[in-house]
Amino acid sequence: MKWLALAIAVVIICGAAGPARSQQRRVIQISAERFSFTPSEIVVDAGEEVELRLTSDDTAHGFRIAGTGVNVVIPKRGRAEIAVPFRAPEPGRYTFECSRMCGAGHNFMRGVLIVRDRAGRTAQR
Amino acid sequence: MKFEWSICLALILGLGRLAVAQTPTADAGYPSTGPLSGYMDFHFNKPEAKDGILDFHRFVLIANHSFSARIRFVAELELEHAFVEGLEAAGELELEQAYVDFLLTRGFNVRAGMLLVPMGIINERHEPPVFHGVERPFVDTVIIPSTWFENGAGVHGELGRGFRYRAYMMAPLNALEFSADEGIRNGRQKGSQSNARNPAFAGRAEYVGVHNLTVGASAWSGKSSFLAPRLDTRVHVGEADVRYKRDRLELRGEFAQVWISDAGRLNDTIGPLTGISPNVAEALRGFYGEAAYRVWADGPARDLVAFVRYENFDTQFRMPSGFIPLKQFDRDAWVLGATYYPDPDVAVKIDYVWQRSRSSVIKAPNSFNIGLGWWF
Repeated sequence: MKWLALAIAVVIICGAAGPARSQQRRVIQISAERFSFTPSEIVVDAGEEVELRLTSDDTAHGFRIAGTGVNVVIPKRGRAEIAVPFRAPEPGRYTFECSRMCGAGHNFMRGVLIVRDRAGRTAQR
Repeated sequence: MKFEWSICLALILGLGRLAVAQTPTADAGYPSTGPLSGYMDFHFNKPEAKDGILDFHRFVLIANHSFSARIRFVAELELEHAFVEGLEAAGELELEQAYVDFLLTRGFNVRAGMLLVPMGIINERHEPPVFHGVERPFVDTVIIPSTWFENGAGVHGELGRGFRYRAYMMAPLNALEFSADEGIRNGRQKGSQSNARNPAFAGRAEYVGVHNLTVGASAWSGKSSFLAPRLDTRVHVGEADVRYKRDRLELRGEFAQVWISDAGRLNDTIGPLTGISPNVAEALRGFYGEAAYRVWADGPARDLVAFVRYENFDTQFRMPSGFIPLKQFDRDAWVLGATYYPDPDVAVKIDYVWQRSRSSVIKAPNSFNIGLGWWF
């Protein structure tokens, strides 16, 4: 019985260890401030595992990457950094933008995620 | 018992790791917050040798709606000074923005409706927590008439490598409302049945490619004498600005100049209409520099920022032939104060303004100010 319980525990820990590979993910820091993201252009390879780490320098902003399902709220300045593990989709150009009204220039707050194929090319979307 | 604990521990560790790895939220569509937001500005102003004034200066509601991912609507409705009554010089109810954005590509998007003129640091970026001082800088009030808004249409976009632009065609200013003390400010048509006989053009280019650095330049140009067609009053506004942050230090500076052609004949035209010569200058100029230091930036998201700003602003900078500048409108000011943020969206402000004018007769008043502003 002991061995069975230990085996179950080992299996669960090993199964959960998958996400721990995120330590090998490339980390990309993105800073949000009325009314821009820095950087506003991000280049990744198709299928690449990255972790977007988002902070705000003022109010709470949204961060949405069109067509990917990523849409998070970046907490206000000094509150927290939000980490978004992310597997780069098909090659192409994906617009990211603030998805939370943040002021008069809210609609200017946009950027582009460029996903390259293995040959380093970017498909037109 | 040990076995059960080991299984529980394993479950907690495993689920905890899985939770970290999840994408925080799914795409929830538009808008991700409520359709209403806005900001408020509540002031106490005490000019030297005058009674103090409590003023609910700005009550602003911003509505937004997305028809689709590419077609969006934004409106900003502002009540100034809390109260509006017909024919009284009290408050103002202003539609400062109401436009539809057609988001086409990163580099080319179309916008039409009531637009903010893309000019300077403050005009498009005027939420109370984003600038220091209870009142907006004089240069952004007297030289650049913030909040400057007008009907129009145009394009905007980002060109890559941190460069972005706005270029609009808008209704012009009404030069017959220009004055010596307020420059072009009263010439704003504010989108109220704006005369568009001669369109004006406004543009701004910005560089935001380096973290914490913004460099911008703006221009506005338009013939503004539509009510006096015999005049050829063209107005040009040029502006350059920079903002930079490093660690706890924040720096910003701005330079703006206005050129008014045919200003002499403009004065000769307005004089008989109003009974007094408006003494409109042919050039107005202003600039300021500001340094702010985040005194207290540790712990939770509460900050205390001390700042000092020097401003120089002259609405009589260069006069048309035959007109003498009114020296009381050649002013400079030191503004010293602090902003306390109990929350990044709430700003408690305090400052003292030392103003000087070049006139030996008419002094510019110093003032003590307290403000409470918030964004929601």
